[in-house]
Amino acid sequence: MSDDDTINPADRGKLIAAEYVLGVLGADERREVERRLTQDPALASEVAFWEERLGALADAVAPVTPPQHTWSRIEAAIPAAAAARPTSLWQSLAFWRGFGIASATLAAASIAAFAYFGFVPAARPPLMATLAGSRGQPNFVAAVTATGDSLVVVPATLLTNDPRAIELWLILPNQRPRSLGLIQPGEPIRLTIPPDLAGRLTADATLAVSLEPPGGSPTGQPTGPVIASGKLTSL
Amino acid sequence: MDEDATRSQLAAALVRVAGGDHAALRMVYQDTSAKLFGVCLRILKDRSEAEDVLQDVYVTVWRKAATFDPGRASPITWMVAIARNRAIDRLRVRGAGGRLQPIEAADAVSDPAPAAVERVELAQQHQRLTRCLGELDARHSTAIRAAFLDGATYEELAGRMNVPLGTMKSWIRRGLLKLRACLER
Repeated sequence: MSDDDTINPADRGKLIAAEYVLGVLGADERREVERRLTQDPALASEVAFWEERLGALADAVAPVTPPQHTWSRIEAAIPAAAAARPTSLWQSLAFWRGFGIASATLAAASIAAFAYFGFVPAARPPLMATLAGSRGQPNFVAAVTATGDSLVVVPATLLTNDPRAIELWLILPNQRPRSLGLIQPGEPIRLTIPPDLAGRLTADATLAVSLEPPGGSPTGQPTGPVIASGKLTSL
Repeated sequence: MDEDATRSQLAAALVRVAGGDHAALRMVYQDTSAKLFGVCLRILKDRSEAEDVLQDVYVTVWRKAATFDPGRASPITWMVAIARNRAIDRLRVRGAGGRLQPIEAADAVSDPAPAAVERVELAQQHQRLTRCLGELDARHSTAIRAAFLDGATYEELAGRMNVPLGTMKSWIRRGLLKLRACLER
């Protein structure tokens, strides 16, 4: 696209992001931009800028209700809820080892969790969650203690030295996320579950971890990227 | 419901989708599918293709929910971007042999802020965009709107507005640079 030499090269570099978002590029150029997006944060942030700003143009498009059957097709195309989470810790351990991710840390995490259960008589089936990131890699292991009033969280992989705070959230069906507190990269932590939530950590609850400003989310809701999430599962 | 509440509710639902919650995806679908179907239909102009793409869009939302960053993007903008990208990709596969439709009269009027001013609730973002588009040459802003809404290539836009390809590229690129400067102010 050197056909417009009246635009200076610095601007040309920025324009490609705008052209991508606007939708004027051909298929090959689009693939090229998408390939660069994964390794060029400046380009990614430029694309995000335009998506956020130009997105308002979509307000001019009249909503059209899709046909009834579309939802059932979507539901059929996504994995069943049960298949998405491991059925036992050992199965999931094998799974993680298969990917060779931080298995030593994970083993330590599971041993810590088991040691925990070992000392406290089990009053109920123990609940655990593996919190995985967007590419399926496990980032945290969380276990509800047998007394049901606290949660042990063990980082399975070391995080980067991101200065942001790491906040753990409990998400019950049809409810807004509730903060369970801040956790530390690289060290296990025991969090006390707020009394009103203690009885509600059941197998349909989701735990999620987000990156927040130092001190935690200022709004009481997740404001930063969710780096890991997973459902509680009975062992 | 006010816009902030809708936005944070949708963002919370997406966090639950990231945790594998089917019910949350259903909620997101109910709140957004008419909007996204409208966007896909406008680009593809074919109901059955738009349905296919819509299905693909929500499967993508399911897979990529964990990458949604509520601090950086609004949930609806994030989903509109996914829908547009999918629809445009489909359009490119279909090839340029398709329809060369004249740009609709409503889009082509020189008034740079058409139906927008009649809206009672204009989001701040929308207001600013409308104002900045209003500062552009009317033909440039018309081309930019048409490109966004229809996902048309430079070639198609040049054909539709009956100008040489180089002129169309120059209109849009100059328009975008000016738009960026205005949006950053």
